[in-house]
Amino acid sequence: MSSKAERNALDVDRTGEQRQVRMPALIDLIARHRVLAAIVFLMVLPWATPYEALAINILIFGLYAIGFNLIFGYAGMLSFGHAAFFGLGAYGCGIPIAKFGFPWFVALPLGVAVAGLAAAIIGWLAIRARGIYFAMVTLALSQIVYYVVFQWVSLTGGEDGLRGVAVNSIDIFGLRLNMLDPMTKYYAILVIVAVALWLFSRILNSPFGGVLEAIRENEKRAAACGYDIKGTRWLAFLLSGLFSGLAGALYAMHLSVVPIETLHYFNSAIVVMMALLGGMGTFFGPFLGALVYLLLEDIITVITVHWQLFVGALFVFLILFFPRGIWGSLLHWMKQ
Amino acid sequence: MTTYRFDKKSGRLTRRDFMGAGIGAAAAIAAGPVYLRHARAQDGPIKIGFPAPLSGPYSSEAQDQVRCAQIAVDLFNEAGGLDGRMAELLVRDSKLDPGEAATRTLELIESDGVHFLCGGLSASVQLSINQVASQRGVIYNSISQSDSINEASDFTKYTFHEAMNPTMTAGSVGRYVFPNHGKRVAFLTADYAYGHEMVRGFKRAGEEFDIEVVAEVSHPLGQADFSTFFPRIQAAGPDVLICSNFGRDQLNTIKQANDFGIKQQMQIAYPVLLFTQRVAGGAQAFEGIIGGTNYYWRLEEDHESAKRLNDAYRERHDGGVPSDYGAYGYAGIYGLLEGAKQAGSTDADGVIAAMETMRYDAYKGEQNFRKCDHQAVQSVLVIQSKPEAEIEGEYDLFNVVHTDNGGEEMLRSCEELGHET
Repeated sequence: MSSKAERNALDVDRTGEQRQVRMPALIDLIARHRVLAAIVFLMVLPWATPYEALAINILIFGLYAIGFNLIFGYAGMLSFGHAAFFGLGAYGCGIPIAKFGFPWFVALPLGVAVAGLAAAIIGWLAIRARGIYFAMVTLALSQIVYYVVFQWVSLTGGEDGLRGVAVNSIDIFGLRLNMLDPMTKYYAILVIVAVALWLFSRILNSPFGGVLEAIRENEKRAAACGYDIKGTRWLAFLLSGLFSGLAGALYAMHLSVVPIETLHYFNSAIVVMMALLGGMGTFFGPFLGALVYLLLEDIITVITVHWQLFVGALFVFLILFFPRGIWGSLLHWMKQ
Repeated sequence: MTTYRFDKKSGRLTRRDFMGAGIGAAAAIAAGPVYLRHARAQDGPIKIGFPAPLSGPYSSEAQDQVRCAQIAVDLFNEAGGLDGRMAELLVRDSKLDPGEAATRTLELIESDGVHFLCGGLSASVQLSINQVASQRGVIYNSISQSDSINEASDFTKYTFHEAMNPTMTAGSVGRYVFPNHGKRVAFLTADYAYGHEMVRGFKRAGEEFDIEVVAEVSHPLGQADFSTFFPRIQAAGPDVLICSNFGRDQLNTIKQANDFGIKQQMQIAYPVLLFTQRVAGGAQAFEGIIGGTNYYWRLEEDHESAKRLNDAYRERHDGGVPSDYGAYGYAGIYGLLEGAKQAGSTDADGVIAAMETMRYDAYKGEQNFRKCDHQAVQSVLVIQSKPEAEIEGEYDLFNVVHTDNGGEEMLRSCEELGHET
């Protein structure tokens, strides 16, 4: 009896030891300092992409996908209207610069605020619905935003898109950064994305993040524990909208134009694909999904005009055989 | 608060190590030889970036633009280039998306170091390329219709517009159609910038003839079924129906107009009657339809330059002929390279000065860029689709019924566009 218990204890010890050996120090460390690891990764990213403008797109869409993942992966609600927040962030930042000559450091928070306001309203209306109805309500409301912006030609440029979001240089503490230089622009935007990533990680680690996952896993039980289901969901939707809005505002500064396509429902669909591709409900998965999606699209486009066929086929393959997504599958495999 | 699940003494890397490494890496990146700047070289090949919607609904027009653009580059190189400097065309798929086009333009300028840009089908795409290019001091010659690009708010000294604009296109068609076919006019318009700008051009031209607008109907882009629109138009009893739409919408309106017997009741006219859509739709459906165009291959009977383009095209593409939008691709590149040749370099300011003053015959007779908005002043053709019996060969599709020999009076004035005079 005692020898058996001893043997069991030894087994446990041995497996514990094995796990330590198999899971190298670096991976463990990355798991503990995910924000720092992500930033280090993003610092070398522009050397791995074919050109810098694509790397900046990856930063921006990565942030967008991460923001979207808060409501999709962590709260378990499929929103089909996130283009509204990305687009409003872009227009909210672009219009003050292009039409009223505001400096970028005023316009950027303005864009985030406009997206946040829209998220607060749309979220307040949409969280009453579940599942497919939630998706439909968010889609319908985001289409309203699309048509308002489309028709308001004097302010938004309508069909032609907004032009003239010229941020040629930014001054920080006497230091002038030339934003026309692609590498400078990349690192300037990376600083903002890094702060956002840190904030996002803090939100996930907070009690609020825990409650969000509890609601996703068992709504009734969370309600029985005394948590405010609607309030939590609404707040998650709002935060998700704010992150998407920040991504949109950065997009406007990056391209110096805001196409009406940013508000198109295709832009809502693309972020679902990115999150699924990378791994919903993981911290860095959606970012990786955005990276893989944009990189693949870019490389395949150079080879053939039928790029959609190949990206689509890959997407179906991944969904069928790696439903956890790329990053999700990798984490799952490493844990075993 | 980050929790440490394991003992720090276990020999694992600590956060401090990691931070140190991270900061070290950051410093290395910041201080290192940074990266190779691809400055635009004043020697070596002349690179021309060409974003075009190779995938998407305008792909057939875009692919023909690329074919013709390549011909312009080939002919320039065969003639010895710019004192031995050869030209090179860098094609990118814009996917008909202004965001993608802006990203690709950044790639072309920043990574490939292009000297000039051309291309960009659709109004929003060309405006977005124009914004990115002019911010970085790269000359862009646009080859797609737009009125906005001429206006002071979008124009910069780096902006050139080789394509016709809606004001001149609709103006020429209107000035031909209204006196010849009647003054009671109905509009069927695709509900986007192209359609609205064209209608504005027709109404402007119509003032001279006191036209009466009896019906105005808008349809969404990509409409398949027009059956609800035609009875309203028929009830209004117009002499002329003007359909301001593009691409496949054009073909669908014509086919269904035939079914409704519209053609027997009124004259149908398009601001731009596309070669590619006429090929797809057949002679019978298009018989008698009138429209404007920048180019028709039979111009070669009067213009040596048109023959040069057609011959090069025939030789490379199984005896085919360039389409109207395809020919823009040729003319756009031709204008840029001619400018470089006259300036004797690829330096932007020099080329701009040369392009502002040069008179050039790219593909259909003499043209020039108006100084205030860099709009190409050019002839506009009014064409009518031939009946089947009169056709003399595979590509014989149209009769040129009228040619508006270009003059600045066809354009909006510089003051009207907001330019300083």
